[in-house]
Amino acid sequence: MKQKNLFLSILYTILPALSVVCLFILWYSVSNQRPDLIPTPADTWERFLLTFEKPIMRLSFFEHILASLRRVITALMFSWVFGILIGTVIGWTKTGRALVGSVFNMLRPIPPLAWIPLITIWFGIGEAPKVLIVIIGSIVPVIVNTQSGMERVEQLYLDVGRVFHANNRQLLFEIALPSALTTIMAGIKTSTSTGWMVVLAAEMLGAKSGVGFLITRGMDSGDTALVLVAMIAIGVVGALLAVLISLIERMVCPWLRKK
Amino acid sequence: MAEKKVILKLDGLSKRFQTKNGDVEAVHEVSLEVRDNEFLVLLGPGRCGKTVLLNLIAGLEPPTEGNIFLDGQAISGTHNSIGMVFQKTGMLPWKTVMQNVELGPKLAGEDKKSRRERAQKYIELVGLKGFEKSYPAELSGGMKQRVGIARAYANNPEILLMDEPFGALDAQTRYAMEDELIRIWEKERRTVIFVTNNIEEAAYLGDRIVLFSECPARVKQIYDIDLPRPRNNVDPKFLHIRQMIAENTDLAL
Amino acid sequence: MSKLQNSNNKKSLGKTRYALLSAAGILGFLAIWQALVMTGIVQEKYLAAPTEIIRLFFVKLTDTAPDGNTLPFNIIASLRVSLTGLLTALLLGIPLGWVMGWYRWVDRFVTPLFEILRPIPPISWIPLTILWLGIGLRAKAFIIFFSAFIPCVINSYTGIKQTSKVLINVAKTCGASNFVIFLKVGIPYSLPITFAGIRVALGNSWSTLMAAEMLASSAGLGYMILMGRAFARPDIIVLGMLVIGVIGALLTGILEFAERKIVKWGGRKQ
Repeated sequence: MKQKNLFLSILYTILPALSVVCLFILWYSVSNQRPDLIPTPADTWERFLLTFEKPIMRLSFFEHILASLRRVITALMFSWVFGILIGTVIGWTKTGRALVGSVFNMLRPIPPLAWIPLITIWFGIGEAPKVLIVIIGSIVPVIVNTQSGMERVEQLYLDVGRVFHANNRQLLFEIALPSALTTIMAGIKTSTSTGWMVVLAAEMLGAKSGVGFLITRGMDSGDTALVLVAMIAIGVVGALLAVLISLIERMVCPWLRKK
Repeated sequence: MAEKKVILKLDGLSKRFQTKNGDVEAVHEVSLEVRDNEFLVLLGPGRCGKTVLLNLIAGLEPPTEGNIFLDGQAISGTHNSIGMVFQKTGMLPWKTVMQNVELGPKLAGEDKKSRRERAQKYIELVGLKGFEKSYPAELSGGMKQRVGIARAYANNPEILLMDEPFGALDAQTRYAMEDELIRIWEKERRTVIFVTNNIEEAAYLGDRIVLFSECPARVKQIYDIDLPRPRNNVDPKFLHIRQMIAENTDLAL
Repeated sequence: MSKLQNSNNKKSLGKTRYALLSAAGILGFLAIWQALVMTGIVQEKYLAAPTEIIRLFFVKLTDTAPDGNTLPFNIIASLRVSLTGLLTALLLGIPLGWVMGWYRWVDRFVTPLFEILRPIPPISWIPLTILWLGIGLRAKAFIIFFSAFIPCVINSYTGIKQTSKVLINVAKTCGASNFVIFLKVGIPYSLPITFAGIRVALGNSWSTLMAAEMLASSAGLGYMILMGRAFARPDIIVLGMLVIGVIGALLTGILEFAERKIVKWGGRKQ
């Protein structure tokens, strides 16, 4: 029995490492057999280094990442501010929910990427329309979560506010918004990953910079190593963004940390 | 004992709710005079409308019939002279102990320095010095309810409503909190209206006990308890009062 | 009692008044839209009026201009791709999540792979997928599979991980084997959260479909709106967007209906 437990605990420790090694071996052997299907790890690494020597569209690799990040962060700032605003209007006031919520619910099933053709017909393919598309995609989770957070404020907390004579504005800012904050933060998390996905799609469909552009450039020129480098970069940046948001959450909601 | 000044008067209060199965009456024609600085206990079985009655007094809900007079003036809605300690503590989880306690004065627009001073005084009074920066999630049930009491006091109310504040605590903590409450109340005299379904707690705490009948809540009898404090819950006189009330109480099923 | 108080406390707006206000919101939106186009404030090359869209809807039922397919043909093409991808993701992802959540060695082995692949958005797989599978149904369905697979796994995993220890112990005392507990306790317990995952998967698949059809396709609703852009036909684009939205909402409705039928004990609580 004891031996079995020891065996299991060793197994549980090495399994994660084993799986990553397996993935790598799989990549290595497939790419060596069929380099036309997927570039080898060595080729990918070299392609990554090459981006520093030889810029693409006169921008270095990191400048492409920065271009995407600039778009997504600008859009997210807008989405968070206006998303919380609209979500509050829908979730806090019955009239607002009827008037604004109905229109929002009508537009909501349209996926953000489906707006791309219309937005480009209206505003062309510059910087602003790309940011706008990212806003359309990333504002939805913020609105939805703010709304549901505001609708589910505990009656007890509102009663506390009323017993202490809070006026409507104080009920909103001292009671309802803070109590909805955890739900809102969850929406902000979703909006960040959605925004990162949408900016990628917008760039793939027409841009001269950004990681999405790198992917299309790689695809069009048969440079699969570049595609893979861009994909890895996208994954890493996406994961870093998620970590960043978690840090922000811990700053904004300090009471959660201590639970 | 000389008649004390009446601070709060309930006049024929009734409350009915509309439900799918027709109207339900929770409170039936309750008339009551609450004296200044007394510790009044509202005692009643299980789910009768004591909490509803307390919500009516707090102004959280309007009565269907009847009036409430504070110092002779009819009032409606919440009133700054009436504070409340909630059954489920009602701690706002996103605020620290200090921020919870200073809530009332803050909402009233008092400046930071003076409200902090007052909040500090009451935090120390309830024995939570050193916990000012803690969040409710870090506190035990008894500590949370202490914060609830400090928060109600910090708003300087004339009347404190307490809705089964110790109902969720274990027996040991509950006894300790009862002593604690009496200590605070003797130091900072306020009128307290305390709701409970526990006869022993009622007899231990109250100057007067208002016994309610099962739904709808209506006044069944009022007892004057003139035992000296601190009371002893195995004192024969205490046991006698307890027995007397118990025999008169409707069984809650 | 507290329920009674709630209904009493919150000022309830009359139901009819609420419905009227909702209708007013939508009608107002449509009216402003119509007025903007009819008065020429927004030129027709940028936007078509709602009435025009309705007319186009009936024309497009049989007309193949400008993208080369009728509307029903595009709808079916899109549904085929997205449902193929979505259903494959459900069939593979949900059981995988359950097994990962229940058997620790699977969890330890699969989770790292999952964490590596998860942050890479599905649409960035498009170039590699085209390389591997061409630009037919299989390639697009694969991308959609990928986008739907992730929420399926995550939610069924989280759901089964939260199975109440008390329930598991009760089942153990009754002499049930681990596998039986997995089937009879773990899986039912995870269903509400699993369904939440399916909802996300559905949204993802419908959204990713747009990218797949715009980047590599010759039919489908995404292709139709992209052609609307190429031929500068805002009416085609808006019609396409509306049809996309309506079908998305319908699919969600069907899913919620199925959820109510299957999770009868009131799921959706998360």
